[in-house]
Amino acid sequence: MTSITSFCRITEMQCIVDYKVLVHRDAGSEDPWLKQIYKEQEFVYPKFHKMDMLTQAGVLACELIRRARPGIMNYPDDGIALLFANCSSSADTDLRFIRSYDQGGAPSPSLFVYTLPNIVLGEIAILNKWYGEQMFAVLPKFAGSFYTDYAPVVMSTGAAALLCGWIEVVGNKVDVLLFLVEHTADNVLEFSADSIESLKQQDSSLSDLKESSTYLSDGYIKGGS
Amino acid sequence: MDTLKEDLKKQIIEQLNLEEIAPADIQDDTLLFNDAGLGLDSIDALELIVLLDKYHGIQVTNPDEGKNAFRSVNAMAEYIRNKRD
Repeated sequence: MTSITSFCRITEMQCIVDYKVLVHRDAGSEDPWLKQIYKEQEFVYPKFHKMDMLTQAGVLACELIRRARPGIMNYPDDGIALLFANCSSSADTDLRFIRSYDQGGAPSPSLFVYTLPNIVLGEIAILNKWYGEQMFAVLPKFAGSFYTDYAPVVMSTGAAALLCGWIEVVGNKVDVLLFLVEHTADNVLEFSADSIESLKQQDSSLSDLKESSTYLSDGYIKGGS
Repeated sequence: MDTLKEDLKKQIIEQLNLEEIAPADIQDDTLLFNDAGLGLDSIDALELIVLLDKYHGIQVTNPDEGKNAFRSVNAMAEYIRNKRD
């Protein structure tokens, strides 16, 4: 059975992992929202500060899922495939790069590095040493069916697990959903378009989802009927 | 205190987003591109070139010069002083 065994949802005000709110945004903080999560969760990865916001969001959400499901590190280095998407590609960083021309007359090389959305995948792969199949699609809008349709494609080379992501970052707007898909015999959240759509609504209807979902004793999430 | 070197340390931290490093963490002879030092990479090298242009009005056009100039803060300061003379 293929199931969603863990997820991370980051919106403009909250960071949620497996139905638990880990971090609330501090509107009074001088730190950007993603940096607040980085500090709050005591993540130590100096390269984080050099990344663009899109990549920071992906790396952070991946790290939080890895902490929630440490068994993810037991897969072989090509055992995890990555299937990500968004609708603005790397436009946010592209614009920052263009603006950097106006500041001091020299464009920022560090911004140029991130003017492709699939750099997110590369950074996650480098950090975790995951060398499975990868795909980053740019879609008109979020669709849960995208992941269920393309999962067999990216897993066709034998990957045992799939990390899926929707990472949309434009200006201060952050809309992130990462979820881990694994083969398990347990009755956990079904890997279906409907389940994925429900996780995407996580921020606005957390209480509803809490009521319809419970944790299994080993830490798996379990979807409601 | 050598203000040029102190300024360079602050500029390196700001330009390269080394947010978890303080100027005091960088010794004058710390190797910038060595894992035992700051562990900078090729993109950081480009940022250092931008730094020299932005803060010191110096354009590094010869790659061989850059290799020596970015060895440490000491080397950067010496390079800047030579270019000013």
